[in-house]
Amino acid sequence: MAEQYAIEMRGITKTFGSVVANKGVNLNVKNGEILALLGENGSGKTTLMNMLSGIYTPDSGSIHINGSEVKIDSPEDSKKLGIGMVHQHFKLVDVFSAADNIWMGKEKSGFVLKKKRYSEIDSIIKRFGFELDPEKKVYNMSVSEKQTLEIIKVLYYGAKIIILDEPTAVLTVQEIEKLFNVLRRMKEQGHAIIIITHKLNEVMDISDRVAIMRKGEYITTVNTQETNEQELTELMVGRKIDLNIDRPVVETTRPLLEVRNLTIKNDEGAVAIDNVSFYIRGGEILGVAGIAGCGQKELCESIAGLRPIQSGQMIHKGDNIVGLPPKAILEKGISMSFIPEDRLGMGLAPSMSIIDNMLLKNYRDSKGPMVDRKRGRADAEQVIADLAVATPSPETPVRRLSGGNVQKVLLGREIKAGPNVLITAYPVRGLDINSSYMIYDILNKQKVDGVGILFVGEDLDVMISLCDKILVLCHGKVMGVVHAHKTNKEELGLMMTGALDLSEKYADKPAGIARDTLFGENNNGQEG
Amino acid sequence: MRFHVVKRDNWPLWKRAVAYLIAVVAALLIGAVILLAIGVNPIDYYYQLFTMGTVGNRFAYKTFMNYIKEFLPLALTSVALSLAFKMKFWNIGGEGQFIMGSISATYIALTLGQTLPMWLTLIVMCVVAMLVAGLYGLLAGFLKVKFGTNETLMTLMLNYIALYLLYFIGETKASWNIFLQESSMRPVFVNFSKFVSFPSIKMGGKFELNICVILTAIIGVLIYIYLKRTKHGYEISVIGDSVGTAKYAGMKTNKIVLRTAFISAALIGLAASFKVGSAGVLSTAITDDVGWTGVIVAWLAQLNTGMIFVVSALICVLQFGSTVAATTYAQVDSSFANMLQGIILFLVLAADFFIRFRIVRVKKGE
Repeated sequence: MAEQYAIEMRGITKTFGSVVANKGVNLNVKNGEILALLGENGSGKTTLMNMLSGIYTPDSGSIHINGSEVKIDSPEDSKKLGIGMVHQHFKLVDVFSAADNIWMGKEKSGFVLKKKRYSEIDSIIKRFGFELDPEKKVYNMSVSEKQTLEIIKVLYYGAKIIILDEPTAVLTVQEIEKLFNVLRRMKEQGHAIIIITHKLNEVMDISDRVAIMRKGEYITTVNTQETNEQELTELMVGRKIDLNIDRPVVETTRPLLEVRNLTIKNDEGAVAIDNVSFYIRGGEILGVAGIAGCGQKELCESIAGLRPIQSGQMIHKGDNIVGLPPKAILEKGISMSFIPEDRLGMGLAPSMSIIDNMLLKNYRDSKGPMVDRKRGRADAEQVIADLAVATPSPETPVRRLSGGNVQKVLLGREIKAGPNVLITAYPVRGLDINSSYMIYDILNKQKVDGVGILFVGEDLDVMISLCDKILVLCHGKVMGVVHAHKTNKEELGLMMTGALDLSEKYADKPAGIARDTLFGENNNGQEG
Repeated sequence: MRFHVVKRDNWPLWKRAVAYLIAVVAALLIGAVILLAIGVNPIDYYYQLFTMGTVGNRFAYKTFMNYIKEFLPLALTSVALSLAFKMKFWNIGGEGQFIMGSISATYIALTLGQTLPMWLTLIVMCVVAMLVAGLYGLLAGFLKVKFGTNETLMTLMLNYIALYLLYFIGETKASWNIFLQESSMRPVFVNFSKFVSFPSIKMGGKFELNICVILTAIIGVLIYIYLKRTKHGYEISVIGDSVGTAKYAGMKTNKIVLRTAFISAALIGLAASFKVGSAGVLSTAITDDVGWTGVIVAWLAQLNTGMIFVVSALICVLQFGSTVAATTYAQVDSSFANMLQGIILFLVLAADFFIRFRIVRVKKGE
């Protein structure tokens, strides 16, 4: 044997019904190496890793650890073999402290909670250079602290092979840098690390080698130093692709939607959006950047009339829309599409057909008591054709479609309604490169047609290239509105964490208030 | 050797039908074993049960008419329940709503029956029973919408309130109680079949078709259209699928929940007035457990309106047939049908599992 691998998977095949998730996949990692696993959605990355962590068992193929073949039938087997996986969704008990979350999963920890557990876990934290208080309760932790805790947990259980499933999706730029430093330290100590991601710049930054998968098949493994982003994309997608996002220059109109001094509470009654002002013109994309849970959802819901506001004003083309029912706001041409984490929760009825989902907002318009499915069918067929939705038929329930196609259906319906303000939150959430670019094109086309777009996004690189301006939120407060072509990721990152506040940069022009405001032109919009 | 469960792709309809058929046959085989154990010839017994004793019987038409009397309330109640279930409103208060409908229909028959023309009395009976039962169902809907209570619990509890109200009426001899016969010393419900009864249409021979059969069939078709084609039905489906989405689409979800809860319960009230109007007398066992059996029927039929009629017809054969068979086989109580029904439900659910998943043996590394 030429080289000893920490882990080696040979010819792994896994099928779900008639769907082949993995087909003859080979993968190997050395000790002291970081391997990036790259692939589009549905290329089988997570399935492959779940076979290492014992959630699935392969139909055929073999797994070798340090040269000897092993069978992983359960998560316990995986743990005993020194494999630890940090999942996308954290598995932590909120009311427990950091140390107790680790302690309770330990075998033979006994019935008594010993004081020394804190010092024991603290020593692990120090060794790898984490920053975390072992006595801190999970519900007081930020997303990045929770993730740190998950990593400490697998290290404490003695994992030598660590798998991270899209760890950077929820982190800010600064937090990602911190995480990568920790990963590098783990690598120095001889751990083998597999990191799943579809962000190419991170792959280039952190990994030693990159394994690429496409549609369940293993393509190749390349050395990071000998490749570049363009080549990786081509390997991943299977053909040449242009990585630049257009930002067409469009003549903007006077403000379409103006929001001033808006304050909203979240479901728990805490302030979610705190005295926020901004405006959107026709023909521009206003990005909203912020860490997950900084009030984006509440903001979108309020504009769509789904959530009552505490105070403030929302003016659409000079008319007050505060207090209007969702239906009246729709009729004014304000359309909202929010892609939640589970992707289906809001805006679509998952077990109903594409036709029925097309009718969701306009089923009332037909005369008489009957639903006009002919129109729904025509709309569905048009959206399927225009946006190249992959579906067996318009009758197919939406939940049977893949993520990208679900989002196309949702966005297609919103655009079909011909809105003048389009609010879209996470429209490319979880989508692969191909589908994401398709969505950006759709948004740009709307922008050229004079629609004002509010784009709530996650990926700062994308927002900087797609949006005209970016509004940054931190704990519900505006940290400033910056021009996308004048800013950079670092600045946005600092604003998102509240370290930089540009909201009062110009004394004569407060952030988010337009000079050519339509405020007060009609009597409806009283001066605030 | 190890196995694991794998999701199956869509099976063709005939394969699914076969799977369900196997489940039913297996249930009957289990029943046969029990019958053998108590010394009854299962073939003879099942023959009696499934023919409901009609073969070679001079009064077969009468048996069939009685069978219809059991079938109608069950079918109508199941259809009504499916309406609420489609919206994920778990109305298991069919019993209570049926009882409230029966009491009010009887009250109308007793107070107006001898003054108004019969057709008018029957219409008023139906309308009042629908209103009272509908409001009874609306109560649970209102509590859910207003205070976020659990409708399963509420409708369940309301069942018992209605049931004991019925017992109270049935056992309390008092001057106000017009439901009981004045002449009798023991508490006996007044029989009003002489002056109020749903008319039947002569169908040639001695067979008569009760007008309720036609009405129920019409209602079945209407509900099918209501659910599949109308805006209301569309709203029900969306709410059943995702309340968040319904709100987002601008639907007034509370209003729709209340409306549907009312319609569902009102239809059960109608079923009750059909039952009372055909029987001509109230009884403490007036419901025949349709509120419970209806839940099973609606689920077995997977909330499909057409299938509900088929399933309730079959369930009724079981129940009615077992009472007929009990007259020949004294040692087999008619409760045998309930047991059989339980086994069938259990095995059909198992068949459902095999329709959706298959079990494969894990192959050793190749």
